[in-house]
Amino acid sequence: MNVICVEHLTRDYGGGKGVFDANFQVSQGEVFGFLGPNGAGKTTTIRHLMGFLRAQQGRCTIAGLDCWKDRARIQAQLGYVPGEISFFDDMTGGDYLKFLERYRNLRGEHRKQELLDYFQMDPKGKIKKMSKGMKQKLGLVAALMHDPEILIFDEPTSGLDPLMQSRFVDLVAAEKKKGKTILLSSHMFEEVERTCDRIGIIRGGKMVAVDGVEQLRERHVRPYTVTLDSEELAAAFARDFHGTQDGCRVTVTTRHSLEEIFMNYYGGDGAC
Amino acid sequence: MLNGVLFRRGMKGSVKLLLILAAVLAMYVVIIVSMYEPEMAQLLDSYVELMPELMAAVGMTGGATSLMGFLCSYLYGFILLIFPMLFCILRGNGLVAKYVDDSSMASLLSAPVRRSTIALTQGAVLVSGTLILSVYITALEWFSGEYYFPGQLELEQLLRVNAGLFCLHLCLGGICFLASCLFSETKYSLGVGAGLPILMYVFQMMANMGGKAETAKYFTVFTLFQPEELAAGESGAVAGALVLLALGLVLYGAAVAVFTRKDLHI
Repeated sequence: MNVICVEHLTRDYGGGKGVFDANFQVSQGEVFGFLGPNGAGKTTTIRHLMGFLRAQQGRCTIAGLDCWKDRARIQAQLGYVPGEISFFDDMTGGDYLKFLERYRNLRGEHRKQELLDYFQMDPKGKIKKMSKGMKQKLGLVAALMHDPEILIFDEPTSGLDPLMQSRFVDLVAAEKKKGKTILLSSHMFEEVERTCDRIGIIRGGKMVAVDGVEQLRERHVRPYTVTLDSEELAAAFARDFHGTQDGCRVTVTTRHSLEEIFMNYYGGDGAC
Repeated sequence: MLNGVLFRRGMKGSVKLLLILAAVLAMYVVIIVSMYEPEMAQLLDSYVELMPELMAAVGMTGGATSLMGFLCSYLYGFILLIFPMLFCILRGNGLVAKYVDDSSMASLLSAPVRRSTIALTQGAVLVSGTLILSVYITALEWFSGEYYFPGQLELEQLLRVNAGLFCLHLCLGGICFLASCLFSETKYSLGVGAGLPILMYVFQMMANMGGKAETAKYFTVFTLFQPEELAAGESGAVAGALVLLALGLVLYGAAVAVFTRKDLHI
């Protein structure tokens, strides 16, 4: 069953900016990576899904409900972490979460404390004085504490340190196990490669490809096997280049950068 | 229709400004009321004779024969117009446009709360502040009047004038709130939300000075608020206040409708 549907979505900002005839679906229990460089139209697409923008053409639905008309109903089962997080600066993190609890009318048990512990977050202190990483963690707690069925993350790991990034990856895996549907936007191939089942690539507002992560990996991860003079050398080589050693032979892999992946899809026409 | 949690947050945000305005208004109102004695009134009226145009611009005409008339002349032409208007401008902008401008509106919208509920709640915060100020002004005038000159103020007249004052500020608040819902950047929201009421007040000052400039009265809503005539219970003045009330309601309604339909780049 498709939970998130984007059909022929178009929003033309003029000058080639915007989203043009975008199509993709995310099915129940799937983690979908939404990959593209900055300014490709990821956030614009997500704003349509959130009901912030009305589609000029085409439409988006979540759980069968229209993202513009039924936006308030959709939000009951949706968790959202915006790309540029902005809270009420005058509040402390704790006050903000308490405000959201009451604003969302959450009663009884929910996941606030569990999530705060998970991200090792102390929500005391004014939001205004928080670092980008702290705000990001607060945003994750705020988006997840009502345990929504559908999650939309817009570049969720920006500002998080490597430890918290891997915690986030684990969290996505755990949520997926529970059958949650997740849309995760990113401009880093490595990030979506680690977390997603399928990946949609957007560039210049157009969907370039929607493919399984395995297929993409096959196409964009290249293994090289080199033979060295001795096993000691091979071991050292494997350590330095993160390869796998087999006797004197070491296999190393290289990943295409995002730009190279786009080049691959555009052929020689990568500049457009 | 309204979200109680959001309403409380809005009212909390109004408290500081309300307290400052309350202190300023208390000072002005008590001082002006206490000046209603022959000697002081004569002094004030001599200023009016000295600079008739300047004094008329801010509604001060002199020669009042009752305490209510004296207040209409010296309070309702400037102080009681400007300070509540300041509240409408600052809070009107802060309740919607600021949240959209700094994107924190996203956290309000990523919850199962309708946009119309959010806009109505924020509008209710602004109207409540206006109402609180109107009631406070009425109480200030009544009690300081009773203290200095017992029995000289008629409560019914005072209530009628201040009901009209509330209608005027409801209309001004409606302009500020509509600007706040219409524009996604505070610079435009403040520009229009503050610019338009201030411009209309300037027109009012020009109209007060008389002469050719009197045609300016057709371009300002302040004309519809006529305190002296309201005190006297003239039907034209009552109709003017009702028009202000209707205008205010239409402006608030339009603001909610605009906010519900607009694209938000947050």
